[in-house]
Amino acid sequence: MNARLSILVIEDDKAICSFITAALNGNGYRTVAAFTGREGLSLAASLCPDVVLLDLGLPDVDGHEVLQKLRCWSRIPIIVISARTEEQEKVRTLDMGADDYITKPFGTAELMARIRTSLRHSSGNFPETVYKTLNLEIHFDKRTVRLNGELVHLTQIEYQLLTLLAKNSGRVLTYNFIMKNIWGPYTDNNNQILRVNMANIRRKIEQNPAQPQYVFTEVGIGYRMRENDDFTPP
Amino acid sequence: MLKKLQFLRQRNQCIYSVLISLLCTAVPMGAAALYSRLAGPDPANITVLFVFSLIVLSCSATNYLYGILCSLLDVLWLGLTQDISLCRLLVTFVGFAVITVFIHTLMERSASQASLITEREKQLTEADMEKTRANLLRAISHDLRTPLSGILGNCLIFLENQPLLSEQEKRLLVVNVQQSSHWLINMVENLLSITRIREERPTITTNDELVEEVISESLQKMEKRHPDCAVRVKIPEEILLIPMDVVLIEQVILNLLENAVLHSGSSEPVDIIVESEPRQVTFTVRDYGNGIPEDRLNCLFDGTDYSAVHAPDAYKGMGIGLVICKTIITAHQGTILGRNHEHGAEFVFTLPKSRDQENPS
Repeated sequence: MNARLSILVIEDDKAICSFITAALNGNGYRTVAAFTGREGLSLAASLCPDVVLLDLGLPDVDGHEVLQKLRCWSRIPIIVISARTEEQEKVRTLDMGADDYITKPFGTAELMARIRTSLRHSSGNFPETVYKTLNLEIHFDKRTVRLNGELVHLTQIEYQLLTLLAKNSGRVLTYNFIMKNIWGPYTDNNNQILRVNMANIRRKIEQNPAQPQYVFTEVGIGYRMRENDDFTPP
Repeated sequence: MLKKLQFLRQRNQCIYSVLISLLCTAVPMGAAALYSRLAGPDPANITVLFVFSLIVLSCSATNYLYGILCSLLDVLWLGLTQDISLCRLLVTFVGFAVITVFIHTLMERSASQASLITEREKQLTEADMEKTRANLLRAISHDLRTPLSGILGNCLIFLENQPLLSEQEKRLLVVNVQQSSHWLINMVENLLSITRIREERPTITTNDELVEEVISESLQKMEKRHPDCAVRVKIPEEILLIPMDVVLIEQVILNLLENAVLHSGSSEPVDIIVESEPRQVTFTVRDYGNGIPEDRLNCLFDGTDYSAVHAPDAYKGMGIGLVICKTIITAHQGTILGRNHEHGAEFVFTLPKSRDQENPS
């Protein structure tokens, strides 16, 4: 991967756009900026960027529409930039096919981490067999979870939950997505069972459930697991 | 002493008015008797005239005593001077008609007065709300202006004196701008959170949330803002699902933590202690610093004499933050208080458990 990865930034605010572009260029990405939704859509079609950063509040088209149109023909990772702190809004964009979101105001480090994670998941070349970070180790083929080298006993559901999160480490997974993946498509909307299972997992792998090191909560949205250490950025 | 005097005065007034009303029934009765002796034995006319004159007077009189005196005079005047033996029936009919009209007007008037009173009450509460809103706005604009002028000033210095400044000085200026911006964002988030509590709705919409998740996310946000702050968390083993608006409660925890970190004047780790009680969950945010000055303890959450309290320590105070905490916790039917302990200050707030979570243990 010697060619520089290209990133399309669809953002109408010039100040934020220039900040993002500068940060991305400084980190070795090639960036193209679009100030309107239509411009962004045509640029995405002609350039086929590796990642799209999409602001939801655009002057001409609603950000959701851009997201929908992009998803019609492309699997490019899309990271939504949102000034809206409403959690429902975020859940909607994620369920509509956005890979991740980042809320304004954000720092460069956060942005870079999100981009790296999206790139890793989109490449999908090498299916991971091991998830390892800090003192936690999961072997997917052996179906074992070890904390500080010792086996952790999890129930079937708990193991499925943890591996689902681990395979998508670094990404936020919505309650909806997790429920459908673990309990099947016909479960009701009550995610209490998921929350209780997560609470139990946390009691098994975290030292202090209120200060987790592995599984983080995005309240009202879902869960995000700590990035896999084995992964080296491209 | 004062109360006793007031009580006596009230009792005197009461006796006085009873006497007057007795007198006022006795005197027109006597007058009526006199009239019947002079004008003939038809009591219907007398009562009609009597009632009529009383109503006319009660209509125009504003003072109880004054009205009674007038009615008394009027009855006497009617009874003694007027010659109404012309046509007894006519007087009765006209009298009834006029009485009906007057009673009607009276009722109309009292109805319009009632609506006037409710209108005025509404205006008063609106004025009250307007006042709190104005207070809040004043405090906010004060709070916003200070960091903004800081940012502007720092930028101006940077732009105008760029060649003269050393790298370190430049860095300091930018760090100042960054800090002020952080503070502003924090402020705006607080204000946004308050818009979630709408006035039309009596309560907020709550969902059952895991206490540990709320705290862990607040801590994550806190770490972003103050990477070097240290927090210790003590939380019960049991799984606590509490109904709350999670964004708002997070805001409360963040405000309290930020207060503890910025104002305690100590770098000791802040403690967050969660305790489960039969009917509620108690959250304590405890710092080990200077504590709260005695004179501020009473007006921590009302934000009333905000600017006075606020002036000495520039914009770093979180007066608005605490007012917002109070609003949020009250909307959750919880309580919040701030107090000093041996080694610093602590803020305690409670959230009620949902009905089915209550247990007698």
